[in-house]
Amino acid sequence: MTTPLLEARSITKSFQLGRTEIPVLRGVDLTIGRGETVALLGTSGAGKSTLLHLLGLLDRPNDGSISFDDQRVDDLSTKERARLRHRRIGFVFQFYHLIPELDALRNVQLGALMDVGLWEWLGNRGAIKARAAALLEEVGLTDRARHRPAELSGGERQRVAIARALIAEPELILADEPTGNLDSETAEGILDLLFRINRERGIAFLLVTHDPALARRCDRIVRMRDGRVVDDGLATTAPATEGAAPPA
Amino acid sequence: MYRLLLATRYLFSRPINLLGVLGIALGVWALIVVPSIFTGYLREVGKHLQSTTADATIRGLPGGVPIETLDELCGADPAVAGLAPRLLWQGLLHPAAPPSRSRPPARGLDELTSESPLVSLLGIDTTRELHFTGLGGWLRAAPAELQPKDLDDPLRPIDGEPAALLSPQRMARDGLRLGDRIAVTIGRLDREDGEEVFHLDEKPLHFRVAGAFESSFAAFDGLHVFVDLETLAARLGGDSSPNEVAVQMQHGVDTAQAAERLERILQAEYGRRVRVATWSEANRLQLGSIDHQRGLMKLVLFVIMVVAGFVVYATLSMMVTEKTRDIGILTAMGADVGGVATVFVACGAAVAVIGAVVGVVGGCLSAVYLDDFNTFLRRFDIDLFPVRVYNLRRVPYDLDPLWIAQVSGISVLVTVAVAAIPAWRAARQDPLDALRHE
Ligand SMILES: Nc1ncnc2c1ncn2[C@@H]1O[C@H](COP(=O)(O)OP(=O)(O)OP(=O)(O)O)[C@@H](O)[C@H]1O
Ligand SMILES: [Mg+2]
Repeated sequence: MTTPLLEARSITKSFQLGRTEIPVLRGVDLTIGRGETVALLGTSGAGKSTLLHLLGLLDRPNDGSISFDDQRVDDLSTKERARLRHRRIGFVFQFYHLIPELDALRNVQLGALMDVGLWEWLGNRGAIKARAAALLEEVGLTDRARHRPAELSGGERQRVAIARALIAEPELILADEPTGNLDSETAEGILDLLFRINRERGIAFLLVTHDPALARRCDRIVRMRDGRVVDDGLATTAPATEGAAPPA
Repeated sequence: MYRLLLATRYLFSRPINLLGVLGIALGVWALIVVPSIFTGYLREVGKHLQSTTADATIRGLPGGVPIETLDELCGADPAVAGLAPRLLWQGLLHPAAPPSRSRPPARGLDELTSESPLVSLLGIDTTRELHFTGLGGWLRAAPAELQPKDLDDPLRPIDGEPAALLSPQRMARDGLRLGDRIAVTIGRLDREDGEEVFHLDEKPLHFRVAGAFESSFAAFDGLHVFVDLETLAARLGGDSSPNEVAVQMQHGVDTAQAAERLERILQAEYGRRVRVATWSEANRLQLGSIDHQRGLMKLVLFVIMVVAGFVVYATLSMMVTEKTRDIGILTAMGADVGGVATVFVACGAAVAVIGAVVGVVGGCLSAVYLDDFNTFLRRFDIDLFPVRVYNLRRVPYDLDPLWIAQVSGISVLVTVAVAAIPAWRAARQDPLDALRHE
């Protein structure tokens, strides 16, 4: 197995709803290796998105630990976690989440600007812009660079979102149902793009999906049910259909 | 960097932010224009007061000090050009002639006192006044038909009766002509059981109108009646010595310093009750009240600023709510709390700075061109600054760079502070809530 990039140990997470505590994750262990693609399957409400947010340092677990390169990160300060998120993790969401006021090129650039000061930006403006343009070309959107999200199709928006995630050169991209809103043909194109990025750049992926066919294209498949990982195995050996998961 | 990029995009894609800009511009504009007119008015009134007040005035001298002694004491100072003793006394003016039925409209500040015949009798040493103060000019400024017969001795008795000089306005209002008789009932402060009581004399003093005088300050003219010092002193009996001495300074000297020197000399001679006040000290009350009104006006106008602040707060709050999802996206991309807050504070700051610049430019232009605008308005019978009320031909203004800097600085600071509230709310938002926000 590849060297572990991200390790989650016995993570629990519950949400307070009024007076009742709703346990969502009940002790999740998960490891993602460098350059590995992992599919996260599970019924709706199993806690996939919650786990993704914890791994992406957008939230803190109630218990357990998360390490990046053998370094614990779940107990870092908010600021340090923001830095880490910017430098090493990229997000791709089901609803693209682009900034509506910015055109495609600027949306991509934005991904590189989080820790760039004004003077630094003035110095590197050209370089950053060129990098964003190159990434747009890589996702096949050169002629859409000046379009705003509202003027783009769903698939095109997702490509912009992927380019934005790539510009900060992350080691891990967390994608929550990236094709959930797209027709199968467009979805296929997006997935081809993601797997090509994985091959060419060695970026690890954690893909939340409901699509078993997609899951089979990944290196590993992790299944969740009711806040627990019920199956974790190589895609080639694991049963790919939802119902065929062996009992825990 | 993304902060500036986003702030400008957010601003320019939302015309409603113009409302905040407009509000701040309006507040800054008003805070520049109105006080500038007050300051200009204060300056003009100051000029008028200065022209009708001696450079310095000596008060509190003991009775019976001959003016020649003072000449010697004060004349030693090179700043002093000359002295003119005065006897100032309050009285009620009764025009002996019945007032004409149709009075011409009252002018200026003396409109306020038009029905009140309270005047200041000013007993003067004519020779010295003509020599040292503005009296000669004031006599020549009066309409030719009202000027005294002998400009070098304007208060020469008429048929053996003491003479008086009045303003042309008062003469016109009371239907007085040269040679007419007037009566003045004077009052005195008496001590009764340790308390000061004001008594009116039973018998009035009688004068004949010898002519008119006209300074540039109608309020002064309307209130004063010039009479001969010796005559007034004789009529008053016991309190017969001058109660103030006007000091004319040489051109270009520091009046305040000279007044201080004189005060030291005179106090050494006559005790600590002697005071020498410069013209601005003497008029402190009047200038102070305009100044006070200016201060109040500023305070009232700051309310506009507060309203503008609320507008900015409201528009930014709306924007934060609208941009909830963007905040989540930024956080996911690695923006920290401060970064997100800065985006919205920068929006507020931009609104404030643009508003302040527009307000300053507009305010300065308005102040400078207000008079032209007023001239234009007069065609429609609207007058923002009636000559009748303010005695000024032009709308005065005085732009104070320090005040302009203060107004714009404070408005920007206040707006940024106000913007910080929704910005802080934005920054504290849970990124997950924000991302779920569809
Ligand atoms: N902020 C929250 N407050 C309360 N409950 C929450 C919160 N976030 C998630 N949950 C609950 O946690 C459970 C898991 O949610 P999560 O979004 O992780 O599921 P999921 O596996 O991603 O489902 P789906 O496939 O539908 O996206 C759900 O029951 C959800 O209602
Ligand atoms: Mg989900």
